[in-house]
Amino acid sequence: MATVDGVTIPEVADRARMRRERHARLQAQLVAHDLDAVLLAGSANVAYAVGADAPASDPARSMLARQVALVVRDAAVPHLRTPYPEGAPVELDPDRVGPVAYPEGAPVELDPDRVGPVAYPDLEDGAADLVAWVAERVPPGARVGIDEVTHPMQRAFAATSITLESAQRVTTAARVTKTVDELACIRAAEALTEAAMVDALAALRPGVRQNELTAIFLRRIFELGVENVGVDPIWQPIPRFKADGPRTVHGDLAFPTASTQATLAEGDVIWNDTGLHVGGYASDFGRTWIVSDDPRPTAAQLAQYATWRTIVAECKALAAPGVDTLQLCRLATKINGGTRPWLAHFYLAHGIGTSSAELPLVGTDLGEAFDERQVLGPGMVLVFEPVVWTEGVGGYRAEEIVAVTDDGTVSLSGTFPWAPFPEEVP
Amino acid sequence: MNASVAVAPGGIVPLADGPDLAGLRVRRRRRVFDAMAAHRVDVLVMGRPAEVAYATGTRQLWLAGSRPFGPAAIAVAATGRIHLLGTSDDGVPDDVGFGDLFAMSWNPAHVRAAVAALPGVAEARRVATTSGTVGFEAFIRSVAPDAVLVDGAALLDAVRRVKDPDEVGCIAAATTLAADALATVAAHVAPGVSERELLAVYLGRLGELGVPTPPTEGIVCAWSPDESPVLRRVATDRRLAVGDRVVLDVAANVAAYEGGVGTTVVVGPDGIAVSETPPPAARRAASVYDALAAACRTGASGAEVRRAVVAAGGTMPPEGVLTGVGLGVEPPVVAPGVGDAAVLEAGMVVAVSAWVVDADDGGWFERRLLRVGAHEDGSVAPIGPVAAPPAPRPWRKTNR
Repeated sequence: MATVDGVTIPEVADRARMRRERHARLQAQLVAHDLDAVLLAGSANVAYAVGADAPASDPARSMLARQVALVVRDAAVPHLRTPYPEGAPVELDPDRVGPVAYPEGAPVELDPDRVGPVAYPDLEDGAADLVAWVAERVPPGARVGIDEVTHPMQRAFAATSITLESAQRVTTAARVTKTVDELACIRAAEALTEAAMVDALAALRPGVRQNELTAIFLRRIFELGVENVGVDPIWQPIPRFKADGPRTVHGDLAFPTASTQATLAEGDVIWNDTGLHVGGYASDFGRTWIVSDDPRPTAAQLAQYATWRTIVAECKALAAPGVDTLQLCRLATKINGGTRPWLAHFYLAHGIGTSSAELPLVGTDLGEAFDERQVLGPGMVLVFEPVVWTEGVGGYRAEEIVAVTDDGTVSLSGTFPWAPFPEEVP
Repeated sequence: MNASVAVAPGGIVPLADGPDLAGLRVRRRRRVFDAMAAHRVDVLVMGRPAEVAYATGTRQLWLAGSRPFGPAAIAVAATGRIHLLGTSDDGVPDDVGFGDLFAMSWNPAHVRAAVAALPGVAEARRVATTSGTVGFEAFIRSVAPDAVLVDGAALLDAVRRVKDPDEVGCIAAATTLAADALATVAAHVAPGVSERELLAVYLGRLGELGVPTPPTEGIVCAWSPDESPVLRRVATDRRLAVGDRVVLDVAANVAAYEGGVGTTVVVGPDGIAVSETPPPAARRAASVYDALAAACRTGASGAEVRRAVVAAGGTMPPEGVLTGVGLGVEPPVVAPGVGDAAVLEAGMVVAVSAWVVDADDGGWFERRLLRVGAHEDGSVAPIGPVAAPPAPRPWRKTNR
């Protein structure tokens, strides 16, 4: 059985336990960094700190009418400001009927100390209101970690005795290692993505438009119960030569590019990349597909695919507690014949959680020294997304999510077929 | 205002008389630099996707939610260039030169070096940012040692809030698409269908239309005649029953501009219930809408708008009665606890929400977009193809 700190990853996340354990981690980090509270307005941080349900929104809406979390040291539960009180976890609102909606028609009797209305930190009066709400809940002279300070917030905080510091050390330290329930949420999000992707793959044929695939995918994920979509799905035709794609600042391949109403044609090789959220946790799905009524990879494409599968299999076998991520980079590069098998602006692998890309970051321009210091531990998640590229052939890219367990790794991806490539590595 | 797009199989088709996006980009860019000059700002650091869209017109990969603030586009007064964070020129209009791209990086030292190397940054005396983090002031000092940091959000808000005709054209086009999506969703309303399934129809339809990046997931929120009406945004698996009222509130984007429309329908035995006489709550919502539209005159304050809603018997919805609309939602906002001091200006586009909870007849919701100061007397004009007053006649089921 795959365990993290001795606990088996459950089939279904225990979300109440997950919220308790995350809160305990944030509390431990508040102590470690000697902060009295953190005030969090970034979606991924709020999702982590509170676990409130919220629909996906365009960044403009998410940033104007905000969900905000306040985690106060030694407090039993966090405080939440939200446009979506129906999504507040039950422990913040114990008298409410139903965790999400009001099936019995119960009146909304929110605990006003725990769940407050939507916050508007971009507005002068909204920021003043938010800062007053914070000041009522933290001790005088408090040191508060924060992830965004708008200009109106800056002015409002200046009139208080509160000292602001970055919340980043607290949130990254808490978030980098997942509990078993967080891992179960990631697996559930990935399973839902794969289930919806079956329909998109079935619709893939010459003449289909990118947006038609998106329509099929979006409709299906909501039928299947997704909480929200994280990214406009990508179905990008990949050229055989890098220079045939959009111009890039580094000369490497342009990826990802936003989808359009472009029609996919016979013989196009597309890289699919998308993600959605379940329980606040992101999925990350990627495959290389060939647009054809009779898709048949060439020998060169099969060889790239075999190399990709080998890189991921070998990296999964190597990854374990105590292994630094530079070792993964070196192994992947060696299997790829000495060439780094990932895009210049990305990574061999990235973490995933309430954000679609977070620590650990493996193989980025943070440099080899960073990777050497970055040591894997139980509960870390790696989304491997190597790119095997040959000028004139093009490339193979897919994604696989693995969790680092007590003694190795376990895949959080499902069994989505590798079609049109063979299931067995050639 | 022309709809400027038509719906065709496979997606939307722009019409010849649609918005002039190239001209719009030039005008928006000029407005940004004019405002910088007026406020003696040497460098404007923008971080949010809507700001990048406004200043450059770049088509960006849509990601949901709010993210940490960082430099995404940097306008430099001395050179007239706008430097854009990006790896490739895909979706980047020609007004931004290829040489004006600066590479994305995971390494703060690399970001600092790239920004410091932009011509005109190091000499800047006044740097404006649209938001910030605790470390951002130190970052600015490290790239522009002599600069004072000023509020760029207020500067850019002032530039953005008044819409020119092509911006209104984009909003109208987006509202056309939202109305199409609303009609599609309405056609699927029937007993046994769940809120979530209707959201699936909405988002699937936006994808079919070629505009799959929704400003919001929309509202599909139902209640029975026995329940207290509550506006929810988090949809459930609740299945509709005859007599339920369902709020449908949807939106769409065109060239990053938002349009939208919301209404309420009653579930009948085989679709939406059709009655000759609108329910009392619908009539009250119509009155609230009329009061809102009348109150949203040039120069009106948020407090006046709020008082007009209360006087007409409206209830304050959780997300407010009025929100600016442009590249997504934007100030002003008149909502619980905010907006009394906001002042409406001619050329603003606002979304207004009429929400009533009638003691005898339950709830009703309507949302429409209005152009402030559309007429010489300062009064509004509705935007989009949807009848301005809340539709007293329910949608009719069509064969889709």
